[in-house]
Amino acid sequence: MKARTRTNLWFQLALVLTLGTLMAWGPAVPVQAQDVVVKVGNIIPLSGPSASVGLQGKQAREMAVEEINAAGGIQSLGGAKLVMLYADSESKPEKGVAEAERLINTEKVHVLTGCWNSAVTYPVTAVAERYGIPFIVPVSVADKITEQGFKNVFRIAAKDSWWTRDQFAFLKDLQEEFGTKVSKLAFVYENGDWGKGFAEQWKKLAAEQGYEVVLDEPYPSTATDLSPVVQKIRRARPDVLMLVSNAADAILLTNTLAEYKVNLKAVITSGGGHADPSFLKAAGENARYLFDIVEWETDINKPGAQEANAKYKAKYGQNLTGEAVDAYLAMYVLADALERAGSLDPAKIREALAATNYRSGPGMIVGYDAVEFDETGQNEHASLVMVQINDLGQGLERITVWPKGARRAGYTPVFPMPAR
Amino acid sequence: MTRRHYNKMAAAIVLILAFGLPLVVRSATYLHILVLLYFYAYLTTSWNLVGGFAGVLPLGHAAFVGIGAYTSTILYLQYGISPWIGMLVGGVLASFVGVLIGLPTFKMRGAYFALATLAFAEGIRVMVENIDRLGPFVLNGPRGLQIPPLKLGLGNLVFASKEPYYYIILLMLLAVLALTWVIARSKLGYYLNAGGEEPDAAMALGVNVARSKLTAMAMSSFLTALAGAFYAQFTLYIHPKSVISLDLSFEIAFIALIGGRGSIAGPVLGALLLRPVSDFSRIYFGDTLPGLHLVIFGVVLILVMIFQPRGLQEPLTRAYNRLLDRLAPGQTKELGT
Amino acid sequence: MLFLIEDAINGILMGSIYGLTALGLTVIFGVLKVINFAHGSLLMVSMYAAYWTVALTGWHPYLALVIVAPAMFVFGYYLQDIVIKPIFKAEQDVREPITVIIVTTGVWYILDNLTLLLFGPQYRTLQDNPLRGRMLEIGQMLISVPKLWGFAAAVLTASGLYLFFQKTRLGRAVRATSLDRQAASLMGINQYKVYNIAFGIGTATAGIAAVTLVPFYNVFPTVGVLFDIKGFIIVVLGGLGSIGGALLGGIIIGLIESVGPQFMTATWTEAIVYGLFLLVLFVKPSGLFGVRYDW
Repeated sequence: MKARTRTNLWFQLALVLTLGTLMAWGPAVPVQAQDVVVKVGNIIPLSGPSASVGLQGKQAREMAVEEINAAGGIQSLGGAKLVMLYADSESKPEKGVAEAERLINTEKVHVLTGCWNSAVTYPVTAVAERYGIPFIVPVSVADKITEQGFKNVFRIAAKDSWWTRDQFAFLKDLQEEFGTKVSKLAFVYENGDWGKGFAEQWKKLAAEQGYEVVLDEPYPSTATDLSPVVQKIRRARPDVLMLVSNAADAILLTNTLAEYKVNLKAVITSGGGHADPSFLKAAGENARYLFDIVEWETDINKPGAQEANAKYKAKYGQNLTGEAVDAYLAMYVLADALERAGSLDPAKIREALAATNYRSGPGMIVGYDAVEFDETGQNEHASLVMVQINDLGQGLERITVWPKGARRAGYTPVFPMPAR
Repeated sequence: MTRRHYNKMAAAIVLILAFGLPLVVRSATYLHILVLLYFYAYLTTSWNLVGGFAGVLPLGHAAFVGIGAYTSTILYLQYGISPWIGMLVGGVLASFVGVLIGLPTFKMRGAYFALATLAFAEGIRVMVENIDRLGPFVLNGPRGLQIPPLKLGLGNLVFASKEPYYYIILLMLLAVLALTWVIARSKLGYYLNAGGEEPDAAMALGVNVARSKLTAMAMSSFLTALAGAFYAQFTLYIHPKSVISLDLSFEIAFIALIGGRGSIAGPVLGALLLRPVSDFSRIYFGDTLPGLHLVIFGVVLILVMIFQPRGLQEPLTRAYNRLLDRLAPGQTKELGT
Repeated sequence: MLFLIEDAINGILMGSIYGLTALGLTVIFGVLKVINFAHGSLLMVSMYAAYWTVALTGWHPYLALVIVAPAMFVFGYYLQDIVIKPIFKAEQDVREPITVIIVTTGVWYILDNLTLLLFGPQYRTLQDNPLRGRMLEIGQMLISVPKLWGFAAAVLTASGLYLFFQKTRLGRAVRATSLDRQAASLMGINQYKVYNIAFGIGTATAGIAAVTLVPFYNVFPTVGVLFDIKGFIIVVLGGLGSIGGALLGGIIIGLIESVGPQFMTATWTEAIVYGLFLLVLFVKPSGLFGVRYDW
């Protein structure tokens, strides 16, 4: 009896390690030598709770890369084409890191992009830094990402301290424009990296600018019933409600706020769930008059923007979102850097990215004028716009209202919201 | 040659292979996958002390991974204490918590025990997500903790390459396998087995079932926490949803059942099957058919359970014994010595 | 004070819907002695079924019940027959069918991700249904109408199940099997057929829950997970296998979730729910309303 078990042990160990070896030798991806290609590894959530936003990022990248390749690829590299490799992070840091290792070591990508979830982006920046692979972050808002002293991280989108700063600037301008005073704020946010980061900044800004915070409420994103939170908002009687939500809870909150007839002067949201294309469909009329902060809107007054959106919509059946546009732009910024680098050496690409000054071109459909990275890798020009959701007779749409220079011609924002 | 020789030879080959692997596998990708494979095999082997031998189904071991990871990371980041020491502190803390949770739950059976451990782990996750700082310790709530990969070296358990991690987790795995092997042969092992299968009969024979289960729980949670600290140093970032997740608890149980719980090599076999299935299906299908890799994972799980409800170790052991019978026939008697 | 009453009412209504989602779990456990980890996914599948029925036919959302409940019964019946039964047969001599738990988890992964593959990650709601956003106003109090109907559905379903198990021949056969499967098969009851039926009934109640949820809730591939863990807690609180217990367990959770946030941040109520759950387990493992079994 005793020895039998021992036999098993030895045998099993042998088996284990042989299999391990086989597995490690098993699949190896052949690299084509004849054509020069630029391999771009993209780590985004394609399954799991953030799959919806991951899919948009993927589609936007695809569209940009098709355009770049159709226009002749990277000239300085002999017309090299961009080859996209996508990896699913499932919104899990562990999977993101494993995929980054694989993309860098096995697929030998020249550049990485991703990862939307800040929690995945952090550890992946460390991997990219270790191998010296340039890592373009279209969107992951946490300040910390570009504040780690890493040399290979480049973020296109604004960081969360800028998002919140602009939300408050907008609130101030709104009060001046309409002569309505706002004094009481309520902060309600998902209890995660993103929501907590925003709320921290909000509290600081509210204290500086003399607002009274009547409610500061994190809630779990997985909540099945948000009416208790809505009741709290209703009873706190804020003038303005500020939200950070993922898609499922954004829909639930918006509907519940309408059901309980909560009267507010304004609701200011923070993109994410509120910018998800399915949000407008699912919340419908209840989403009317909401102000959302985004980096881009379909009605933006930029050459090429309408066309890009029309093309995207024809292809994928929904409007481009701010986050998708960042991914779209990221591909053009990359193409521009590659053009200048004239090399596939990651260090050269990094140099070129650091020297980026991208001001015009097909990717420049965003609200700001240029992409230039500061020494931390943050795009200095990233800026944001506020939109209002309203129905002007053609169904609900998102209308740019701030900064005033970017406001859609002839539109006057609705503030305060009409009573429900 | 006798069977014993063959066994020793097999073991030697296995060890040489395991230790030599990084010399052949130069790709960090595969080393990374192997490190995680060993990590899961280690976790499941630790889990097996309770889930296998004691005959219950714990579904909350991620709580101990979390305790280990958080303890060592906090001590390292805030006090500069080496993760090796933090690892042990986390282990002690985890075994304390393990006993605390084991005391009332071991009276339960089956479904209740599974659900109690599951709820306990989820409760810990919710707590950590709600606490930004606990006294002097910064937990950072849902935002997690990041370890800057600046000070490299064995003392800090941070390395630039995968090889050191590979050897550390391999040694940890071998150690825990050896420990399991010793326990399985000890009085404790017999008590656990008896208590798991027929608790009433065992108690009637004077076996202190509750106490041996608690001992197993303390060891299991201690060992699990060590891996948690290793994990934190390996990925350099932890947050509640990654180290205290339900998915992690479940995956440990999956691996154990697929490999064959209660056997020594079952966990390793389970990890060898399930980890590559999950990694490679994600790699090949993750971009084009999102979600398909988890469908495949589920299908593999169900198929193995339908056709080999005792896990993979059973048929494989039989095959190996048959092979030995052919190589060294008629020597079965010698084995007893 | 009025606030508290309003919150308590919402808690009871929402909680009874939680109870309704968990009823199937308790029925299946009561008979098969297995925690069905795929229950949330079955709820999700039912929600998609209800959503598409209403979206394609334009019926009143509650009318979808006539399609969804029978369809889910059949689905559950064959799921048990094809996927779970073989394991019961292989594990006949084992006291606790732990492997079955793992198999139901496999079913969960498959269903959730197949849905993602087929329908994509989008969130869907029934836009123009007559129940959407309907509120009952009593003075200053607001009560959600679809939740009120959900409460009624929960009470009716629970009573219906109770009567079925107590009064009908088939129900008694199911109960007999749950008490002693060997003895029941000796008495000529086909054990596995009873399992199929119990699983079918459990899945059909998930269908009923889905129909009451769809008019005011989002439908997406991972929606089941949100209700899954809640369901486990509810059935243990109420006593695994107890039908009335599931309803009351749900209401307790609903009350904590609804009244709790008025005294603390909403995220802490989750912790209270887990704390209460563990407390009940330690003090009275058979649950608040359960019978003491040896398992």
